Amino acid sequence: MRLGIVRGHVTLNLSVDAYRGRTLLIVEPVTMENLAAGNGLGGGKALVVLDELGAAKGQMVAFTEGREAANPFWPQAVSVDAYCALIVDSIHLKPLRNREAEVPK
Amino acid sequence: MYLARIDGALVAAAKHETLQGCRFLIAQRIEADGSVGAEPVVAIDWMGAANGSTVLVSTDGDIARQRFGNTTPARLVVVGIVDRVQMPGTAEAVSA
Repeated sequence: MRLGIVRGHVTLNLSVDAYRGRTLLIVEPVTMENLAAGNGLGGGKALVVLDELGAAKGQMVAFTEGREAANPFWPQAVSVDAYCALIVDSIHLKPLRNREAEVPK
Repeated sequence: MYLARIDGALVAAAKHETLQGCRFLIAQRIEADGSVGAEPVVAIDWMGAANGSTVLVSTDGDIARQRFGNTTPARLVVVGIVDRVQMPGTAEAVSA
């Protein structure tokens, strides 16, 4: 899963049946630099994520990509690329200097 | 599969129902030269990887499906905790 910040929502006029009643989020992935700084910035390339949890604008979510994104609809065959698996409450990171010191050489 | 360094943990109240009780770790992928990637990833861990340790992360969700059921969106799973990485020509990398 990757981390991203919800920037908005997408509304579809026509869509495949599986998307009905579910939300499509615009999510901007977060880089380690911005995550550590806690500045609310993303830095990655934005993508659309299917959401069933009700994530709101500005919240940080973790989304699954690839085949596993469609697993929640098993055994239905649904084309989902990215699925919001959780809404982040809090993140506990090691201080930056400790992280840099432990990069294996 | 790739090597990653554990940099922190994550708490989430709202999550997919199959992920109840999971331990979510913030990891950074380690490249061949020892540098880490720009984007962090969230990996699921049931081995008890410590903060700062080097782990082996699998990008295949099958092991998670076996554990959490067919409907789980879990994909990145810690499948091993690294003792030592041997790469000829470079200094030995040891887990912290």
